[in-house]
Amino acid sequence: MSYSVRPDALEKLTGQVLYGVDVERPGMWWGALVPSPAAAGRLVAIDASAVADEEAVVVTAADLPRLLPNGSGDPERPIFPSTAVRYRGEPVAAVAAPTLERARAAAARVRVRLDAEAPVEDLDRLFPDWPSPETMRDHPLVNGHVLARFGPVDRAFRTADELFQETYRTSGVHQVPLEPHACVADATGSVWHVTTSTQTPFGCREDTASLLGIPESSLVVEGSWVGGAFGSKGSALLEPYALVLSRASGRPVRLALSYAEEFQLGRTTLPSVLRLETALRNGRVVGRRARLLLDTGASLPGGDFTLGYAAGFLLGPYGAPALEIEGYAIRTHKPPFGPHRAPFIPQVAFAIESHLTHLAAHLGEDPIRLRRATVWTEGQTTTLGQRVGPFGLDRCLERAAEVVRAWRVDLPAGHGVGTGAGFWSTGAGAGGEARVVLTPTAVEVEQSEREIGSGSVLRGVAAVVERVLGLPPSHVVVRYQDTASGPFDSGVFGSRTVAALGQAAEKASRRLLTVLQERAGLRSTPRLAVADGRIVLEAPGTSAPVETLFTDSERRAGRLVVDGRHYGRAEGGIDPSRAVVGEFHPFTDFTAAAHVAEVEVDRELGAVRVVRYHAIHDVGTLIDRRTATAQVEGGVAMGLGEALTEEMLWRDDGRLENPGLLDYRLMTITDVPPIEVEFVEGFRGAGPFGAKGLGEIPIVPVPATIAAAIHDALGRPLFELPMTPERIARALAERTVDRPPVGRGAPA
Amino acid sequence: MAGVEWVAPSTEDEALRYFSSDPPSAVVPIAGGTDLLLDLEAGRVGPRRLVSLSRLPWRELEWAPNALRIGSTRPLADIQADPRVRQAVPGLIEAILAVGGPALRHRATLGGNLARAAPASDVIPLLLAVGASVELVGADGHRTVPVDQFVRASRETALRPGELIRRIVLPVPRPSAYRWHRVRPVNDISHVAVGGSFDPGTSEWTVAIGGVPPRPQVERDRTLGARPSDAAIETFARAVAERVPLRGDLRASEGYRRRVVAILVARTIRAVAMADQIGSDRGSAA
Repeated sequence: MSYSVRPDALEKLTGQVLYGVDVERPGMWWGALVPSPAAAGRLVAIDASAVADEEAVVVTAADLPRLLPNGSGDPERPIFPSTAVRYRGEPVAAVAAPTLERARAAAARVRVRLDAEAPVEDLDRLFPDWPSPETMRDHPLVNGHVLARFGPVDRAFRTADELFQETYRTSGVHQVPLEPHACVADATGSVWHVTTSTQTPFGCREDTASLLGIPESSLVVEGSWVGGAFGSKGSALLEPYALVLSRASGRPVRLALSYAEEFQLGRTTLPSVLRLETALRNGRVVGRRARLLLDTGASLPGGDFTLGYAAGFLLGPYGAPALEIEGYAIRTHKPPFGPHRAPFIPQVAFAIESHLTHLAAHLGEDPIRLRRATVWTEGQTTTLGQRVGPFGLDRCLERAAEVVRAWRVDLPAGHGVGTGAGFWSTGAGAGGEARVVLTPTAVEVEQSEREIGSGSVLRGVAAVVERVLGLPPSHVVVRYQDTASGPFDSGVFGSRTVAALGQAAEKASRRLLTVLQERAGLRSTPRLAVADGRIVLEAPGTSAPVETLFTDSERRAGRLVVDGRHYGRAEGGIDPSRAVVGEFHPFTDFTAAAHVAEVEVDRELGAVRVVRYHAIHDVGTLIDRRTATAQVEGGVAMGLGEALTEEMLWRDDGRLENPGLLDYRLMTITDVPPIEVEFVEGFRGAGPFGAKGLGEIPIVPVPATIAAAIHDALGRPLFELPMTPERIARALAERTVDRPPVGRGAPA
Repeated sequence: MAGVEWVAPSTEDEALRYFSSDPPSAVVPIAGGTDLLLDLEAGRVGPRRLVSLSRLPWRELEWAPNALRIGSTRPLADIQADPRVRQAVPGLIEAILAVGGPALRHRATLGGNLARAAPASDVIPLLLAVGASVELVGADGHRTVPVDQFVRASRETALRPGELIRRIVLPVPRPSAYRWHRVRPVNDISHVAVGGSFDPGTSEWTVAIGGVPPRPQVERDRTLGARPSDAAIETFARAVAERVPLRGDLRASEGYRRRVVAILVARTIRAVAMADQIGSDRGSAA
């Protein structure tokens, strides 16, 4: 059997790749950050007089005007606080020294004096009762507010004969890239340079330049190899600190987080409380409402935009005659909210999907049939009134029902089977460019994304080019560029690599064939092939080495270069009459999945074992089956952690209690069950050949699916993530689960 | 951790000399290092010299009449693989399988578990339950101490300065079982764990409950007998769960731990009584 192996596999398995923390520069020093010792309070003084190391350089907010060409950087987003600290561990100063040990030792001797204040950490403590609109209107901690409405909601709820109301809680979860953030910066010359572990080199350049108040043209960002990112390595984190340390010390400076720091500074999905209400009349759904309180830590990047985006998912991909969604972003003393693989949507899907599972049980209906009755199909409208494009969720659910039926045969006692669904919108609209370089012996794709481990760049984009040109994987090579020499690209986020950069590469490849066709005077589009190690042009009656079609200058350069660009946009907008408050955002593409899980639950201990798993995905068109399958498997494994074990635990003083992999429990290979992956094709997406993004959707339905399987095994609903043994045991022990008014998720 | 000298003596005398010549905090023995390395990295210990015990001929697995003697530095994986051990002390295999993951068990040792006396050690409760003892060697010669006296508290043992654990001695055959509970089945800390054994000679049940302060708690009973009824088991388990000292922490609340103790004590006794003692990586689901 022959199959494609990931092109980076050998280099990675033999330790040859240089991750951010491996990059070295001659004369390089090391940096260390000085964390705020309290989560809230006013800075009184930062005293570096106890730093005994005479070579060490200490930088605080006061030094920035001297170090930065245009003053202190972005006044809205200072890299060091000068008055109030916002969270425990916030960098208040940074230190550079010749070695890591010396930098850390010096950082430990910087005394941070502040008037500490009581931090706000917990949504339930902040709002023991569900807050009224009056409470929220002028609340100092409200960071954002969105409200959308469709149909006669008030009447539906007023005239309902039954109200099915539940409250869900979700936890903070970390991306846990195995490689912590790391970069090496050199700001000793006129053009500053940083090599960093980033998933978006151009985004990092834009963000870093903006934070430091310098023009993007005077900063070059080069991506190192990335040891996992999952959303965490998009915008700038360490780069501005490393650059000012380099400025201050006159040397290149490497700054890398320890694993504990990676957790403590993590900008990630934070806790939430979700309330879902379905209004019923004569057993029929007449209206639905969703309410969200989202902990956004010190800030919500993108503000209402992020909140509005999440809000579009709150009621799931299901229609209702009348609906209303309202979300509040709440500022707390945690690090800022940040992107984490389908940010916050696995948590949202857990709530709405569980709500439907419980509603089906309440109404005595089959949970999949209940979903299929109102699931979106092409041509219908979303919660926010956007027209739905090709959308295969109904087909995925139909297949899920067949899997469930098969698994129910001979299901052992104590086991349960459940289904969860989810959808996602890819960032296929964000722009990107690619160059396709034809040489006599290979095709090279020059582009500016870094492979972050999913295979989307090295296999996905390459597979698109192979498919257009007709070449085997052995003769298509993807090359990386830095921001000074590479074509612009928005980066790896929003599941957009194949869907968006893939389109740029597709267009460049097609243009290449057109150029060759014209030069060869062919009537039909040719294909490329490999003969005796050389790339040849093939068309009916023609087979010629490609270099015979090169111009003189191309022959001298040994390459023919064409480029392609893709700047897409969302198809259609939302219905403005539905948007009452805040900023909402249309979806670019409609990708979907239905998952099925079988679990075994220990009814005494509450322990869950996932026995087997089946994932059905609408991918539009499959580009590379092995890479796509691996992507789904990885997403499921990650989602199982969010479902069962992963939880960031903050104390009341803002200290993260579990900043490490001992008590922040990822799934290990022995915990992951056999996963069957199935693709539904034909619901064409915006990507090349009708492909849809697949980076994030695999994680979306997982917590909901596990919850449904546990519900099936126990007949008990669960309202909180993660579903740890203790929480399950508690649910089993509770006779009535009501704890009003915010409650632990009881039906009211 | 910079500047630490690493030595790996190959004889007992050589090893002991390192400990007699230096102050105790300056020289630290290391076997698998699976626990010690965390302290070294965090700077909780700062020795000048690490004395590796890995080259010492201390890895034996010897059968004596009514006793199994295991060298202190034998990796757990090399005990786990032995079918005779499984037959003679089934609970030991179950406890070993609860330690970390496969990779870690190739490094971790029984001696290291005892010397470090971690509060969440999975092997200590089992060693207590079966009535094992440790043989210590030091400048003054050998002495043997029951594990019950050796492990005094969390991170506190009866080891004297300069003394090392030479081997562990287990009475055999000893019907036994080990049951644990944790959030993630593999590579996690047992929140509660129970080792149990039955001595047919004295008709005595011994259970040791791990995950309780200040060290695993030993409970004995001579009324249950070889084939206890379900009701008797439940009564005993509940009584034990009521009196063990438990604390809540970020891993589990006190109330849940107490409930789990009762469940696991009952399951452990049932497993021993029914001789249903085949080990599994998923002990909590058993």
